[in-house]
Amino acid sequence: MIQRAPSTVGETRRDDSSRRVRRAWARREESLWRVGGRVATLVPVGALAFLLVVLAVKAWPAIKVSGWGYLTGSAWLPGSTYGGVEKVHGVAIPVGAHYGAWPLLAGTLQTSAIALIFAVPVSILTAFALTEGLPGRIARPLGFVVEVVAGIPSVIIGLWGVLVLGPFLAHDVYPLVATHVPNVPVLRYFGGSVGYGEGLLTSGLVLGLMIVPIIASTTRDLFLQVPALPQEGARALGMTDAEVARRVTLPWVRSGVIGAAVLGLGRALGETIAVAMVSGSVLGVVSPNLYGTMTTIAATIVSQLDSAATDGTGFAVANLAEAGLLLAAISIAVNLAARAIVRRSGALGAPVGRA
Amino acid sequence: MDEVTRHHDADAHVASVLRTLDPDRDRPADVLAAEHLTVGFGGQGVLRDVTVALPRGTVTAIIGPTGSGKSTFLRTLNRMNDRVRGFERHGDVLLDGESIWSPSHDLLAVRRRVGMLFQRPNPFPMSIRDNVVAGVRAHGIARGKQLDVVAEIRLREVGLWDAVKDRLHGSPYRLSGGQQQLLCLARALAVGPEVLLLDEPTSALDPMSTEAVEALFKTLTPALTLLVVTHNLGQARRLSDATILFYDGELAEHGATAQVFEQPRDPRTARYVQGLVG
Repeated sequence: MIQRAPSTVGETRRDDSSRRVRRAWARREESLWRVGGRVATLVPVGALAFLLVVLAVKAWPAIKVSGWGYLTGSAWLPGSTYGGVEKVHGVAIPVGAHYGAWPLLAGTLQTSAIALIFAVPVSILTAFALTEGLPGRIARPLGFVVEVVAGIPSVIIGLWGVLVLGPFLAHDVYPLVATHVPNVPVLRYFGGSVGYGEGLLTSGLVLGLMIVPIIASTTRDLFLQVPALPQEGARALGMTDAEVARRVTLPWVRSGVIGAAVLGLGRALGETIAVAMVSGSVLGVVSPNLYGTMTTIAATIVSQLDSAATDGTGFAVANLAEAGLLLAAISIAVNLAARAIVRRSGALGAPVGRA
Repeated sequence: MDEVTRHHDADAHVASVLRTLDPDRDRPADVLAAEHLTVGFGGQGVLRDVTVALPRGTVTAIIGPTGSGKSTFLRTLNRMNDRVRGFERHGDVLLDGESIWSPSHDLLAVRRRVGMLFQRPNPFPMSIRDNVVAGVRAHGIARGKQLDVVAEIRLREVGLWDAVKDRLHGSPYRLSGGQQQLLCLARALAVGPEVLLLDEPTSALDPMSTEAVEALFKTLTPALTLLVVTHNLGQARRLSDATILFYDGELAEHGATAQVFEQPRDPRTARYVQGLVG
């Protein structure tokens, strides 16, 4: 016969009631997560929609006046600052005002492209050194340093770029290339005047330096996640470390590295203050060679906002808003393109979580 | 020309013909031999004074309880342990009579000659065809159109050709586990190894795939010398000519497979092969 200890009965009952209370809380928590989750998702989506709508509304007068000409035009002329106003397509604008964003657009794409061309190989090699090439006691502190560099404010990098890097490059590095380039089409672009260190290539390289830590530390983390078994298989086949990295490790995390590069590209496209400091901030022209002064969309917005506010018709601000809209469109396009690339390159990629 | 020289020339000619017929003729009978091999990691001993030779063209099985040093031994033979932190070694491993650590042996060449198949299939993140020729490419054995030929030959050799010929450029990860392991075998064979180290090669496979892979192993000798680590005693009996039992880092027994299983000399072997331990 089974003996039941009488005291446990009461305890069980107390347990039951407290368990019921706890389950009620659990259900409330459940609904908090479900409803709260949906609401929280709306925050970034709503912010993006709101932002695009506001930019579009602000930019509307500029879009109406310039149309597609905004993308192809090169002038950035605020027009009469003494109150002369004319009407174009029903929009009041200062007399002589004329805006074209082609140099800004070109400058943004050029500097970002240079930054990527510089940063992606450097980052992948850094990640390789941090995971394979260097002994742990050197690699660990070095990895930490790379992450610290990612946190340096861009204004400091811009200052260093304009005071140290730019003059050094213009004086000691650029001439080595520029003076040896023959004056023929295409190659001509790498020759000519190298200026004083403020300009396209310097901006691109500064941006590149700024995005290396992001791409490198992400790539290192990705490399560390690659399972040992396929890498060992490659080594056992007689591949060198470099071949293992190129044929197995890198392809294994290809989509992640592309993601990291896009993250870096996003920062390069939008980076403002450092480029404003090292680009030369010259409006209205596309640099004739690799070294010339120029500006980008982001740098123009920050450098022109003050003076644009003095335009009583609001047309100058409208044009800056349109430039901002253009930058947002480029960022979104870059992300979509990256998704397409990742999807395509993922066809042969390793399934996640597979050894 | 005097008589002695003519005799000498004739002898040399015969020798060269024989070498062509049997490239292994002038080489040591044992393709791979461990001599007093002691291995440890950071002061922790794993293998103690192992001396064992693998006759060319034979299959040797290594059995023994988990942690007895089987895998460490196997991985030392193609220098996969060299870079493991704290790796220490005394004694030697001879490949065709020469130390695999001798400066005249290139590490990559050693690994080309001593191939390896792992516990679980480990295809590379590239197409099926590129997997097969990955090593061939790395060693510059073939290139261009020849690679397609190599891929077909090796895939036929492992019996995978008909299953994959229509998706050579597809992902290897959509193959079944057994097919993936066969693909890895084709990849290992493609670089033309002399010795193949098999580290529990069927432990992740179902019985049917295991049977297919085992049948294939049998076709590889005597061209290749196989050394297979296995927890599956039946597999050791089915496959091997000789069996080695590792026990606690020591070579407890080494003999013809039938002898090891039926008349073990070491009491530890007797207990292990009867399923009393391990």
